[in-house]
Amino acid sequence: MSKAFGIVNFAGRNVHIEGMQTYRPVGAFSFLGRYRVIDFPISNMSDSGIDRIQVYIRRKPRSLTEHLGTGRHYNINSKRGKLHLLYSENGMDNDIYNNDVAAFIENMEFIEQAQEPYVVIAPSYMIYTMDYSQLLESHIESGADITLLYHSVDNAKESFLNCNVLNLNKQKGVLSMEPNHGNAKNRNIFMETYVMKKDLFIELVEKAHKLSSMYTLSDIVNDSCSELDIRGVAHRGYFASISDFKSYYDANISLIDIKNLQSLFNEEWPIYTRTNDSCPTQYFESASVKNSVVSNGCLIEGTVENSVVGRGCVIKEGAVVKNSVILPDSVIGKDVYVENQVVDKHARLIHVKEIISSPDRPGYIKRNDTL
Amino acid sequence: MKQNNMLAMILAGGRGTRLHELTKKVAKPAVSYGGKYRIIDFPLSNCANSGIDNVGVLTQYESIQLNSYVAAGGRWGLDAKNSGVYVLAPREKADVDLDVYRGTADAISQNIDFIDSFDPEYVLILSGDHIYKMNYAKMLAAHKEQNADATIAVIEVPMREASRFGIMNTDETGKIVEFEEKPEHPKSNLASMGIYIFTWKPLRKLLTADMKNPDSHHDFGKDIIPVMLSENKTLYAYKFKGYWKDVGTIDSLWEANMDLLDKNNPLDLSDSSWKIYTEDSDSLPHYIGPNAVIKRAFITQGCIIDGTVENSVLFTDTKVGTGAKVIDSVIMPGAVVEDGAVVQRVIVADGVHIGKNARVGSADSEHIELIAKRVKGEE
Repeated sequence: MSKAFGIVNFAGRNVHIEGMQTYRPVGAFSFLGRYRVIDFPISNMSDSGIDRIQVYIRRKPRSLTEHLGTGRHYNINSKRGKLHLLYSENGMDNDIYNNDVAAFIENMEFIEQAQEPYVVIAPSYMIYTMDYSQLLESHIESGADITLLYHSVDNAKESFLNCNVLNLNKQKGVLSMEPNHGNAKNRNIFMETYVMKKDLFIELVEKAHKLSSMYTLSDIVNDSCSELDIRGVAHRGYFASISDFKSYYDANISLIDIKNLQSLFNEEWPIYTRTNDSCPTQYFESASVKNSVVSNGCLIEGTVENSVVGRGCVIKEGAVVKNSVILPDSVIGKDVYVENQVVDKHARLIHVKEIISSPDRPGYIKRNDTL
Repeated sequence: MKQNNMLAMILAGGRGTRLHELTKKVAKPAVSYGGKYRIIDFPLSNCANSGIDNVGVLTQYESIQLNSYVAAGGRWGLDAKNSGVYVLAPREKADVDLDVYRGTADAISQNIDFIDSFDPEYVLILSGDHIYKMNYAKMLAAHKEQNADATIAVIEVPMREASRFGIMNTDETGKIVEFEEKPEHPKSNLASMGIYIFTWKPLRKLLTADMKNPDSHHDFGKDIIPVMLSENKTLYAYKFKGYWKDVGTIDSLWEANMDLLDKNNPLDLSDSSWKIYTEDSDSLPHYIGPNAVIKRAFITQGCIIDGTVENSVLFTDTKVGTGAKVIDSVIMPGAVVEDGAVVQRVIVADGVHIGKNARVGSADSEHIELIAKRVKGEE
């Protein structure tokens, strides 16, 4: 049994995805055709032997609760383990008050009840794989108060703009945390992943709550940098943060590169999701598909290039899909040309001739929309 | 939800000798089909979709994989509080020594205690190695309406092939008047599908008598049905229209897979109103590389393809390397066709590697070749 319980935190105010977020929280976004973004943190925890996981849900719970269910599909022991869905109900409608610290305070009895002495906190909007049992071991060994996970990037000027950055000393001690304003290329992007003792976590949450109703967990941890021993651990491998629309599109498209795909996924570290029992995808005589990631249950008669196609999509004869992310159960009609788009679930592009956006500003087709 | 008073028993003990190496380590019902399925997913999903809550699976030949596979009833939604899939292998009893199932009827007879524990009004007997979609609830409704002792599902086969089947001769109301096993001169083309609904009480009596009969083969077709007819029991044929395939040979297994490539294939696995459920794979969506050419294909999770795939079915986690060609073939789970290799008119068995630039199969072979061992390529 793990020495830690898990917390999957919701996305804070820094995360805003035009369009898609109207329908569901980022954790419930379809990702790479088959997954939901939240499958990654929960699978990481489950694969790391963490059997008790709290998932915090801020608003629009329908799609998340439906997807998560009892957690059985995440390989969580149904008797000894638990996937605990916790809601933040106070101040639902006000973003300022409805932050993670408020949600932790509201559900404090469940945090206090946890038997495990440590907690691993991961965000619901970042895509990466990580063995938290190793992270926990190295945290305990180091004697640090808090361990934070970060990823060194060389494109922080144009990417990860809504993320926090860690300023580290040479011994990987965390000096401070600040938002990425895009003024330097090389940055250590904070992956919103924390390891600490449960007691310290509770202490920090209560302190933050007293200081300001607006304080978040990252704010109070930043405040504590001088008093506590906070250290950074570098993450290697694939990493994406879904914090705005472009990053959602880019993360999907980036995984069409087999090197990235194989860096994120490996047999030893399965990413679980809810099955929907789709049959395999059927390609017809007229199909032409290259450089794409395609999920099950699709019927493909048209052309697909450099795209991600979700479960149960129909691509009709003569249709062309290029550089696009097609979410599950969408229909691209006969002879329709689609380029640089995110097509949300159940959309039907049948009456239009073409929908083209520029590669640096991909377009968005609304859920259930018929064009 | 309690749905109906019928218990299903699936006969899944058969070896399927003519499938050669494919059934060396697994029973025929566990053989892979259609990209992500096993054959037994069809009767099990049909049961689940027909509102049958409890299913016994009678296993015998190489049953380890099959037993662990079917025991996880949740895959087919057969895991509600009063629902389940039960593995029934031959067992030792207080008054009988351990014995094999001597025939299809004997397999049921040896589990009368199991059936009694559910106190069912009807028992549905199925074969675990047929591919089809069928609503057994409709068949039960017909059985009840005719107040029959037994109802047997039949399918019309071409007259010239009728002598390969068990043939039911019926009167104009569908009542069975005669049963002929593989008749030389068939009088009808209504072939038994090996799907029976029995009213349990009269069947129980017959089975008890059959167990003690030293001259019996303990087989439904050879013994139980003829006895019922001779005793003037009420037997009705239930006509099934649709796709039904008994994949007994490498050729027919290949054919059944190829059927899926037809645009209007009658099995239609994408019909969400009658889904076929199977083991949930954790593999990622399939990846199609920059050099891939894909035409008429059935492709599933975990496949990585950078070659040509034409008129073929690719199962879970298969790989087709750059410049490789897979034509008119069935590639079973985890098999690998390496760069530049060409496979044509073959079934590549589970996990088998076809080496770099190797060639297997040919366009004009009479039969489909089964590749069950690694084929070395150029180093």
